[in-house]
This record gives sequence, C-alpha cells and structure tokens, in this order.
Amino acid sequence: MEIKKGIAASPGISIAKSLIIDSEDYLIPQRKITPSQRLTEIQRVRNAFKDAIDELTQFEAQQDQTEGSKIKDIFAVHLRFLRDRSLRKKITDLIHSELVTAEYGVSTVLREIAAHFSNQKDSYINERAADFYDIERRLLRQLLGRKREDIKHLSEEVAIIARELSPTQTAGFNKKFVKGLATDAGGRTSHTVIVARSLGIPAVVALEDLTEIVHGGDRVIIDGNRGIVIVNPDDETIQQYKKYSHEFSEFEHKLAAIREKPAETRDGTKITILGNIEFPDEAELVLQKGGEGIGLYRTEFLYLSVTTEPTEQQHYEAYAETVGVFKHRPVIIRTVDLGADKHTQSRRFAPEPNPFLGLRSIRFCLQNLMMFKTQLRAILRASLLGQVKIMFPLITNLQEMMQAKMILRDVMEDLDEESIPYNRNIEIGIMIETPSAALTASTLAQDVDFFSIGTNDLIQYTLAVDRGNELVSTLYSAADPAVLRLIRTVIQDAHKTQIDVAVCGEVASDPEYVMLLLGMGIRTISITPPMIPEVKQIIRSVTIEDCNAVARKVLGMNSERQISSYLRNAVRKILPEAF
Amino acid sequence: MQAGQDSLEKVVCETTVEIKNKNGLHMRPAMQLVDLANQFDCDITVNNSENVVDGKSIMQIVMLAASCGTKLKIKAEGTDAKKAISAMQELVENKHFIDPDSAD
Amino acid sequence: MKFVDFVCFEAIIPELQAKDRDGVIAELVSALEKAGRLKKPSREKIIKSMIERENEASTGIGKGIALPHVKYPGIEDVVAVIGQSSTGIDFSALDKQPVYSVILLISPVDNPDKHLQAMESVFKRLQQERFRKFLRQSRSAEEIEELLKEVDENPAL
Repeated sequence: MEIKKGIAASPGISIAKSLIIDSEDYLIPQRKITPSQRLTEIQRVRNAFKDAIDELTQFEAQQDQTEGSKIKDIFAVHLRFLRDRSLRKKITDLIHSELVTAEYGVSTVLREIAAHFSNQKDSYINERAADFYDIERRLLRQLLGRKREDIKHLSEEVAIIARELSPTQTAGFNKKFVKGLATDAGGRTSHTVIVARSLGIPAVVALEDLTEIVHGGDRVIIDGNRGIVIVNPDDETIQQYKKYSHEFSEFEHKLAAIREKPAETRDGTKITILGNIEFPDEAELVLQKGGEGIGLYRTEFLYLSVTTEPTEQQHYEAYAETVGVFKHRPVIIRTVDLGADKHTQSRRFAPEPNPFLGLRSIRFCLQNLMMFKTQLRAILRASLLGQVKIMFPLITNLQEMMQAKMILRDVMEDLDEESIPYNRNIEIGIMIETPSAALTASTLAQDVDFFSIGTNDLIQYTLAVDRGNELVSTLYSAADPAVLRLIRTVIQDAHKTQIDVAVCGEVASDPEYVMLLLGMGIRTISITPPMIPEVKQIIRSVTIEDCNAVARKVLGMNSERQISSYLRNAVRKILPEAF
Repeated sequence: MQAGQDSLEKVVCETTVEIKNKNGLHMRPAMQLVDLANQFDCDITVNNSENVVDGKSIMQIVMLAASCGTKLKIKAEGTDAKKAISAMQELVENKHFIDPDSAD
Repeated sequence: MKFVDFVCFEAIIPELQAKDRDGVIAELVSALEKAGRLKKPSREKIIKSMIERENEASTGIGKGIALPHVKYPGIEDVVAVIGQSSTGIDFSALDKQPVYSVILLISPVDNPDKHLQAMESVFKRLQQERFRKFLRQSRSAEEIEELLKEVDENPAL
C-alpha cells in the first residue's frame, strides 16, 4: 500500500480499479526494491519480453510483403533483439545487483544502448537510437499495463490515472464508468480539475510520479477532499474509506436540501448563481444543484472530439438541447475559445512558438470567418428558444470587440436576407480575462451588454504563470493583490456604465472567495455545478455588511499569503463542516 | 585464412573482413550476420580492435556499430569453424549482405 | 482571398476630399461607380443604405480604421476601395479617435461567404502593425496598390 499526496482538485471519494492512460514519454525514477522482490521483478521482465515478442510476431505477420517490407524488416530486427539473451541478461543483472524495479532496469539498459548509438559519428548508425527507444517503450507498455483506446470501450468502473489529461482525452469520459481522476501534473485549475468537477467525480492532481507507481488494474482510492491517492490499499484502509465516503455523501445530501431555497444573503440581497458547463447534458446537473441558468457555456467540445469541423446544424442542436432545459433562464454561450492546442496548431504549417499568447480564441475566429460565422448563425437561430446571450472570449482591445460585433451584425443581415428568424436584441457580452481588457474596461463597457470576468486566464496573464505547470502552480493565486485590484477596476467600470458584471472563473466556485466577491460588488456568479449548493449555503449564511467588511480589509492588504489565510479563516467561521 | 589446432575436438579459424556496404553493419546486415552465425555450432566472436563481441548476439553485433570501411576480425572456435568462417566471409565480402539499401 | 481579387485599384483615393463621414462614403462609392464596378444598382441608393447602416452602428473599429460596408442586390461580386485622409474623419468610433484609412466594401446579397472572405483578408492584414503603418504612410494610389499586391504575395510581411 502506498499513499501519495497531491492537490485536492475535486471533492469526493472513489475506490476503483485504475486505468492508466498512455502518454508517449515515460520518465522512470529509480525505485529501490528489497532483495526478496528480486525474483518477482526478474519474472516481470521475462513476462514483458515474452508478451512483447508475441505482440511483434503478430504485427510482423500482418505486414504484407509488398508495401510493408521495410516495416516488416524493422519488426524482424526488433524481434531478434527481444530474443537476444544478452539483452535480457543485462537487464536482469542490473536488477539483481542494483535492486531496482523491472521498469527502471529496462529503461536504463535500453537508454544506455540508445545513447551508445546516438554518440556514433556515422549518421545512419546514430539514427538507430530511435529503434532502441521504441523497444524500450514496447517493453514498458507491457510492464506498466497501459492499454490504448480503452477509454472508448469501458465496461467497468475505473479510476483514470495519467501524467496529464488533455481536453481531447477527457471529452470521451463517461460518468457511468469513470469514477475518479488522478494526474501527475496539473494545478488547481487545470483542465483535469474542470472536467472532474463537471462530472462530479473526485480528482487529485500534481502527484508528480503517480504513474510510475501504479500498475494498470491496481486498486486505488482517490480522496478528492484531502488530495490523497492510496495505491493498493489494505482492507482496513478500504473499510475506513467506505465509512468516510458515506459520511461525506450525507453532507452532500444536506447541501442538496437547500436546492429550492433562494441564494439570498441574510440581509436580503439576492445573488444569482449560474452554472459553467461544457456539454449539453450537464445542463440538467446545473438545475438539479439549484443553479438558475448557464453563465458560461464552453463550446470547444464541439471541435475537440471530432475529426471534421462541426456543421451549423450540429452547433444548433447542441445549443437547442441546452436552452431547452432552461427555457426562460439565461444561457450565455461563449464563442470558441480554442487555442494553444491541437485544433489551431495542426492547421498551421509552422506551429506557433508560443500559442498561449498567439492566434487563439477570438483572434483565431476573426481570421477564420467561415468557422466563426457557422457558430454565430447557430447561436442566433437558437436565440429564439430561450434567453440566449452571446459572449466573446479573450477580448484584449476595442478593435477586437468591434470586429467581432461587426461580423455578428453581418451574420444577422444574412439571416434577415434568408428570412431565418432570430432574436434581434440578443445581449452581447465579453469576457474580461486579460490585464489590457481589465484596464480599459470603461471603454469596452460602452458598447456591450455585460462583462464576465474570466479569472482563470486573468490570473495567468497578470501573474505570468501557467496554471497547468506543477512547477509554478503555487504562484497562481486569485488572492494576489494585483489580480484583486484588476477585478475591482472591472467591477467599478461596469457599475459606472450600469452593465451587469459576473465572475465565471474557478475562483467563484471557491468557498473561500465568495464573501470577497460579494463585498467587491459582484451579484452574479457562474460556477461549477457540484459547488452550487455549498456556495449557496455560504451566501445564505452571510450579510452583505460582512462581505463588504471582508472586501475592505482584503483590499487594504498587500500580501497574497495574508489575504489567502484571512479568507480561509473567514469562511471557516461560517461553514465549519465544509472543512 | 589460418587454421590451427588446439586439441582434437576444437578447430580455430580466423579471418579479417572489411564492411563494404554503404550503411555499414546496420539492422538488416547485422541480422543476416547473426542469423548465419547461429546456424553453426562453434563459438563465433567478432573483434573490431576495440571490443570483442559474441557473433551470435544481435545486440552485441549492433553495438559494434561498424560503419562502411571498418575492418572486423571474425574468429570461430569449434568443429564447424572452417565452414562458419568461409560462410561469413562470403556474406560480408562477396554478397555485401544482399542489401537493397546499398543501392540508395 | 487576395486583395487583387476584390479591391478596385483604379478607384483608390489617396487623399479624400470630403471631411465628414457621409461625404467620404459618397466619395468612395462614386469612385467605384466611375470605375464601372457598380453596374446595375444606383450609386445614390447604395450611399443611402451605407449611411443608414453606419448610423445604426459605427464601423470605426478603432486605431484610425473604418470598414463601412453594405450588401446590395444586383452586385455580383464583392468589391472594395480604399480611401485615406491625412486630416482624419470623425466616424464616431468607440475610441473617439479620428479615422485615417477607410476600407469600403460592397458585397453581393446572395453570396454572403464572399463578403466574409474579403473581411477575413482585411482583418488578417489589419492585425499586422507594419501593414497599418505602411498604409497610413502611402501618399499615392500606386503606393497603396503596391502595398496590397505585396502583402498578397508575402503573407508574412
């Protein structure tokens, strides 16, 4: 049994079999074994070799003579390698003398051989190093039990373990079978977290080397409350966790009871709680949890799990489904926020060196008007079905905003021409998620109907920190005075122009920040559905007076640490059971 | 080619060959050499003046990373040593390992 | 879409006579008519339409650029013209700054994609600081034409 500590990313407990999702690059740390484990590890090496040989023999047979002869050759050579006794002996000798794991032995020996090759002057010979890396991967795959493509064919409950998870990988997750997530990488607001929370399953991130320790099929406990993962727990631990899990769901049920109650402070101020969703089927979850609409409907999923661009009809159907659930309540649809990922990068012949600061999101849309107009048309058509609003992401300056609005208008004229009805008065808003937008919010406010503050990106761009990079993820914090000052500016500018301003980043889902946001003047938040009951509970337990006092205090502080601990203490006083 | 006798059972044969194909002793030729070596009972070693390796081990032969022009000393020890050496020589020098890649 | 595909080089006005928004629109549309690009629709009607549209929402997108445009029946293919004013025109842009470069487009009604393709080209170029600068600095119709042809050939100006 091994206990690993990471960052708690999504609440809940799961006890399930692990399924490790492949990533191409393994880094095996040196893990020591005891002398008594030697024989087991050596046997594991033998098995891995045998399985790899079987696998390759099959592949070789499948390659036909004509086209695949070069490939057939490569397999033939790799097969001879795998059959070579001296190779296996080198590995088992290493295990025997250095007391290391099978993975470490395989990796070390094969990389040594690969290095020997890359050091040769002859270019043809030094390119052969790649063959050895390939053999290493093949053996490691056998040892680590990783299976590809299994996510699409799940038939039992699993906990997914990976180095990190990309939006494309998570797009296929089925809540019925995926019971928990744990990743080596990632910070508090990485994609894994967002997905786990949406699905309502526990997740722990930033575990650093979990993937090296877990073997496919190992039982794991994922404790998303405390940020712990337990590999191969013993019976006693399992019993303890089952009990704890039961207690925790009772707490959740208690929270569920406040679903029908309004989100009103003790002194009668109404706060609107909306939900952030990614897939149409999460709309139900928002309602179930007591949300009053959708504050952020992320539309990227339409592009991520498919190989061709979605049609206008496909867009429309997804939006119609969501709006149908909410009828008269607001649904704010955000236009595609793709960027720094496969979709935008694969379309270029020269991938951008820094996609994060490059042609992404609205900028990408403004230079791909065919794609943009398809989405805009679908949103406009869907606007007839309910209270649909449209929101443009990553607006950094006035020009971008005007261009986006201009195209929207052009698309409206086209629909008019085709006699296709839509809501002419659809509300248009923008996300404030860059320092430049925050600092010029007063100008931007003149020509939009609402703002939504995207704190995730705002924090990243303001503090120059990648929230997914576990090496710096502790620097990423909404409690940084610089960030808070920007948020306050935006709220003040919005109030002056009398437009709505909401917060839709992860910070709004965080119980520790509720009072602060309310105290700074926010009256609408859009959060991850599972957190709606808890946040509502906090809102119902405070007065606006209290919140204003918290905000005043915090805005006078100039250290992130001071601010976060102050906020932590403030909320603990109100809702001790959440901790 | 030299022939010597240490005992009644063992025959030792040696020869020196030069790798002539363009890409040296890479995958395909190495495979052919090793497959051939494994057809014989005798022990076969290959020496490139820095290292001596087992001629029947693909891994060790490939490790030699012998490029075009490298001279290798092949030594066979056993009852069929003579046959082995003769076959190996034929493969390396005359047939150039039947390497279609040499045409590149 | 390349600029050569839709910009009417003969109609380019390197220094606009009109000093007000509506005058500029009229001047540019007239230039297109003179170059024979309007065919059926009447110049007056197009100007009126464009001004109406401009009244509803300014096409001054900031940084001294305006993109007045309209879709009109009878127009076969998207056509554009560029006009510059060294003194600046008030287009009621949101940034309250005067406009120095006006790119006017007239597009067919039954082929909305053409309009968007032309807009996309314009947006792509405007995104590049150097393009905007060179455009501003151009003093003659030939210079503007050269600039447009050059960016068509070298997307990475």
